[in-house]
Amino acid sequence: MAHELTEEEIDKLSHLCRIACSAEEKAKLKANLSKILNYVDQLRQVDTKDVPPCNSVLEELKSVMRDDEPGDILPREVFLANAPAHVGGMIRVPPVIKF
Amino acid sequence: MTLKHSIWEPVIGLEIHVQLNTKSKLFSRAPNRFGDEPNINIGVVCTGQPGSLPVLNKEAVRKAVQFGCAIDAEIARVSKFDRKSYFYPDSPRNFQITQYDQPIIRGGRVETLVEGEMKSFAIHHAHLEDDTGMLKHFTSFAGVDYNRAGVPLVEVVSEPCMHSAKEAAAYAMAIKSIMEYIGASDCNMEEGSLRVDCNISVRKRGEGTLRNKIEIKNMNSFHNMEMAIESEIARQIAIYEKDDSVQLTKGTYRFDLEKKETVLMRMKEEADDYRYFPEPDLVPLVLTHEYIEHIRNTLPELPTQRLKRYVEELGLSDYAAGLLINDKPLCDYFEEGLNFCKNARNLCNWITVEFVGRLKEKGLTPMSAGIPARHVAKLVELIEQGTITGKIAKLVADDMVADVERDPLQIVQANPDYQPVSDLSAIEALVDEVLKENPQSIADFKSGKTKAYAFLVGQVMKLCKGKADPALVNKILTEKLQ
Amino acid sequence: MYKCSAHQLRERFVKGDVSAKEIVHKTYDRIEQKGDEVGAFLALLKERAHKQADKLDRMRQEGKPLGKLAGVPIAIKDNIHVEGELTTCASKFLKNYRAPFSATAIKLLEQEGAIIIGKTNLDEFAMGSSTEYSAFHQTKNPWDLTCTPGGSSGGSAAAVAARFVPLALGSETGGSVRQPASLCGIVGFKPTYGRVSRFGLVAFGSSLDQISPFGTSVNDVALTMGIIAHPCENDSTSIPKAPDDYLALLKAPFKGCKIGVPWNFIADLGGEAKENFLASIETLKSLDCKIVDVDLEILKTSIAVYYVLATAEASTNLARFDGIRYGVRSSKAKTLDEVYDFSKQEGFGPEVKNRILLGTYVLSAGYQDAYYRQAQKVRTLIIRRFTEAFKHCSAIAMPVSPFPAFPLGSIHDPLQMYLQDIYTIAANLAGLPAISVPSGFNKDGKPWGLQLLGPQLHDGDVLKIAHAFEEATQFTHQLPPLFG
Repeated sequence: MAHELTEEEIDKLSHLCRIACSAEEKAKLKANLSKILNYVDQLRQVDTKDVPPCNSVLEELKSVMRDDEPGDILPREVFLANAPAHVGGMIRVPPVIKF
Repeated sequence: MTLKHSIWEPVIGLEIHVQLNTKSKLFSRAPNRFGDEPNINIGVVCTGQPGSLPVLNKEAVRKAVQFGCAIDAEIARVSKFDRKSYFYPDSPRNFQITQYDQPIIRGGRVETLVEGEMKSFAIHHAHLEDDTGMLKHFTSFAGVDYNRAGVPLVEVVSEPCMHSAKEAAAYAMAIKSIMEYIGASDCNMEEGSLRVDCNISVRKRGEGTLRNKIEIKNMNSFHNMEMAIESEIARQIAIYEKDDSVQLTKGTYRFDLEKKETVLMRMKEEADDYRYFPEPDLVPLVLTHEYIEHIRNTLPELPTQRLKRYVEELGLSDYAAGLLINDKPLCDYFEEGLNFCKNARNLCNWITVEFVGRLKEKGLTPMSAGIPARHVAKLVELIEQGTITGKIAKLVADDMVADVERDPLQIVQANPDYQPVSDLSAIEALVDEVLKENPQSIADFKSGKTKAYAFLVGQVMKLCKGKADPALVNKILTEKLQ
Repeated sequence: MYKCSAHQLRERFVKGDVSAKEIVHKTYDRIEQKGDEVGAFLALLKERAHKQADKLDRMRQEGKPLGKLAGVPIAIKDNIHVEGELTTCASKFLKNYRAPFSATAIKLLEQEGAIIIGKTNLDEFAMGSSTEYSAFHQTKNPWDLTCTPGGSSGGSAAAVAARFVPLALGSETGGSVRQPASLCGIVGFKPTYGRVSRFGLVAFGSSLDQISPFGTSVNDVALTMGIIAHPCENDSTSIPKAPDDYLALLKAPFKGCKIGVPWNFIADLGGEAKENFLASIETLKSLDCKIVDVDLEILKTSIAVYYVLATAEASTNLARFDGIRYGVRSSKAKTLDEVYDFSKQEGFGPEVKNRILLGTYVLSAGYQDAYYRQAQKVRTLIIRRFTEAFKHCSAIAMPVSPFPAFPLGSIHDPLQMYLQDIYTIAANLAGLPAISVPSGFNKDGKPWGLQLLGPQLHDGDVLKIAHAFEEATQFTHQLPPLFG
């Protein structure tokens, strides 16, 4: 079963992951993804009736929790040192439509 | 507007987000505190640093289970967390960790009075999830503060079972009350620790299916919420009355306080694809029967239980009890006072009417003013014991408000004008003088006009500036009138 | 000195034969002389290394107790945090990102006296099998400088193979340590999932990732595992039990065991790869191992399963790289949408974009059941087949890679690149401990590796068998001709 992604689907995907793509990039992505999806389609042939999905590889590990004690604070200077733009102690971004 | 007999039936569901008052965040150890400088209460997890991993806060789980028990819900023995993907600057990872299909709390109900009638509202489920940071808007840029990012939220999703703004408000207040009573949240709508979103649709009464609904967000008080719902119901009815076949366009609205109507914020073009899938950095949450039962058995007194106790055991009126129950801080203040005073009704009155009244103008409450509850209780006791009259007590209350730490007994002892006159001969002298001055009243009394008696008592009290023990005055006056 | 194992180096330091300062100097000297030929490193942490060396020398002088790796230089894959140093993940996006904390594994190593020499090259965000997808430069295979060292942990593998350092940390999501270990003629070990904390490892495939050590001998790898394989309170998927005493296990004599071989799964193996694998089997037999046939036909689906699950998890793990809080924000961006769109367009390389889009697709509405959920179910089947297989044997032997080191630039098709990992990926899917131990050379002198896998938490057993194999074959004693 051939799986050929359409340009529309690539557009939709690139919007969902917020990655802008040039026409050239889109063409490459379309070709690569279609090929890989084609390959991955073999999974549909595998009989998984009554087989539960594997949500955790460590089957016995459950209910991992910690005490409610504050700590491990990230100092603001360290946080902002990696920031592309900051102002007044806040991360600075272009204006956002206010609701 | 009453819609009871109208052909239109509003259908309302509420999603209430409650911030839990844990010391640290849900998956991050950073402090859970409101109001500090931006980006002070942050850690590597709640700022989405690469290489950071979530670790679940056991106290948040406990509070969620407490809430579930308080609403008689089923506590899931096994629940899990999921990633919900969407992009926004206030999201540190561009996915939220929430519970999609296996929430910790399923079902449940709250019972509450709605305009005098007891009603029960069903809850669909409640789940844990982490809050986002905050976006602050300026003209040419926006600033992001992650102090709030990662704070634990319990999202309570009701069934679409409310049919009026009053029902919705009552339900929301009941949820708030329960959260306050189990001590799980500050429930402060202004600060954002309690947030309510409504989903509203309207249909013809008896219509089997639901029509399209819209969502109203960002209502910052119960009063505004009621107004918003009322106005939206009216808007939808008006649309259908013009053309019943209209398919309402789904969208998100906010309530405009000036226009007093709901205003469109954004359309829902297509269903958001959040691509939910199980959070691989967390393991399933498995709760034992013992753990759940222990929490259920150690629940503190819940609002409906306390209301019952106030009315049935303490003899408070429905109204007075309701007033206290819905204001937890004030109610706790009253509970504190009860330790020092036997007359619950009087204590209630003195707190909710006399002291609240005096402090309202100052924008204070008895708690915020710093008047110890036991002082108010003592004041009531002083009246009960006959040490002072009710009238004097009012003056003492004024003094207590002016100087919040003063003990009422000391106030009374320090002021000669407050000393009750219990000297029999002194009172007798007063009574004699009043009787001498008011022969007409005596005659009126003797001819059966009871009002004259009250007048005479009043005159005696006036003479002594209210200091005489009313019981003694009555005794002596009655004797003298024989 | 560069021919010393980590063990030997520590001994010499502790005895006083060589100071930590000298070790660091000699290490950087060698890197300066021969480093550019290989291109293993992205950054050299000289200040940090000298500071640690001074501290160690002082401690030794003061007679204080010295750690299990005291004085031993180690290289770290540049997707593992060392506090205050850059963690670039070989991506333009993070070229200026400074780690705000150290990974748990790093803290544990430094506590035991290891000296962190530098950060090594990788495929961008650990996505690749040749290190060619690094945004910065290519790393070459010390055995043949026209070839890749494998990937994604190619830099770490090359650094150890060229004997710049005796130990290195890499990370595995789908064979990214075993495959380069095999191609570079060294030992590479992936622990049971959850055995080593992931706190401080930049996440790619959360349910698959493990920090994994490289070494020139199984002994050194066991030594390293003993240090980093501890429970961690910052990682909810960390195994809460203390690790076994791996070194003690290695000391006890090996008496042979049942080893399963999935002949039906590896039926397509041919040529020299097959010859080498069969020779390895003979070696195992000579060590009193009994070879049994196990059915792992289902592993033919492992690459498909992997590329659905790993990319799905990666698409969400990499969503945070948006130019808002850290990373490079596009200078073209004027609106918020453009900050996202352009920063990601400019910051991510093509393979990373391939995988993010693919991962988004398999999770999206209408496709999640057919792809993501189906893959999770097949994953369960894979785990079950392994469990069944391990009823008949203590470990499973397989080749690591169907090919030896391949020339730089020879593979252009992403799918063909993915197929390099056909034998290694299953261990990540099932969370099993697995090792690649040198098993010989092809006619061009390029190394082969033998892969051994064990049941979950049987890390010690896998190390033990590998150790016996290593002792019997001595392939690890051979150095690349250019670096010997």
